[in-house]
Amino acid sequence: MAFVRGDLADAHLAALRHVAAPGSRFTGARRLQIAAVARDAYLTTGPSRPWERPYGDAPLDVAYRLARHAGTISQEWYEQIVTEGTHPLDWVEVVGIVVAAVPVYAFARAAGLPAPMTPDAIDGEAHGREAAELAPATLNWVPVAAPADRTASVVQALSALPDEWDNLWQLAGAQYMSDAQMADPLWSRGTLSRPQMELIAGRISRIRECFF
Amino acid sequence: MLSWSSTTASTPADLAAITEGTGDGGLPNGRELIDFTNAVGGVDEAALAAARDALCASAGEAFMVDAAAVIANFEMMTRVADGTGARFPNESAGHRTALDQRLDIGHFTSAR
Repeated sequence: MAFVRGDLADAHLAALRHVAAPGSRFTGARRLQIAAVARDAYLTTGPSRPWERPYGDAPLDVAYRLARHAGTISQEWYEQIVTEGTHPLDWVEVVGIVVAAVPVYAFARAAGLPAPMTPDAIDGEAHGREAAELAPATLNWVPVAAPADRTASVVQALSALPDEWDNLWQLAGAQYMSDAQMADPLWSRGTLSRPQMELIAGRISRIRECFF
Repeated sequence: MLSWSSTTASTPADLAAITEGTGDGGLPNGRELIDFTNAVGGVDEAALAAARDALCASAGEAFMVDAAAVIANFEMMTRVADGTGARFPNESAGHRTALDQRLDIGHFTSAR
């Protein structure tokens, strides 16, 4: 079985614990339910078609489509889900949960390792924590922390919910590189060179049809 | 990002490896990395196991683990972008057009 460096294993464990804890909008149990849908959607070999909503439960349907058919999600679908009654910050939290869970299972599958154990839900109500001030963005559909559009769209994407933002970037630092390391185009961990990292980053983004 | 980092590191990258999933991108272990990434992006577990073994044989287990981590990271970041409608600012459109054409990505649903 492949050896996994400690910082990476810790980052994935922290992501799963983050999912199991109460969030801004959802309880830990509900967040684990959303994460399980994302995991199953990512790993299944017989997915539903992108436009189908297999759960009839908006957060679960969003998690499913984002985990399996992310490149098909449109602004119109986002607005449809919100118009049906899903709060925009519920959507942001679902995105935060999906992007906490999917890389953990994606890494395990890719490296040929067993999927990590899912922690038990941590009791407690949703805590309601969000950015001090929210603002509409022109670089994202979702609301972001004010002031909007002062940073790159992927950087401000989850900023409305600081806990989701923090988890995203702790994962990125272990899986890829930190902001400080990114500033040096010659930085590497001593295994893959930067061009090798960008090669596979570009290829998987192309396979997932992610324009960005 | 690919073109920028490749140029800076003095190792030219062939974008066909990204767009077509063929070749080696002009990089050491590039063929094995592309095969591994293609396999992660697919649903054939036997093909994934074979690609993983080939990458380990070519570059070592720690290299494969870090490659898997980078792929996982972009399984994450693509979903951040697509789940929040991330787009580039209008002022970047001019210099992006040529790269978008080279990558053949303008027709994606996610193009915003």
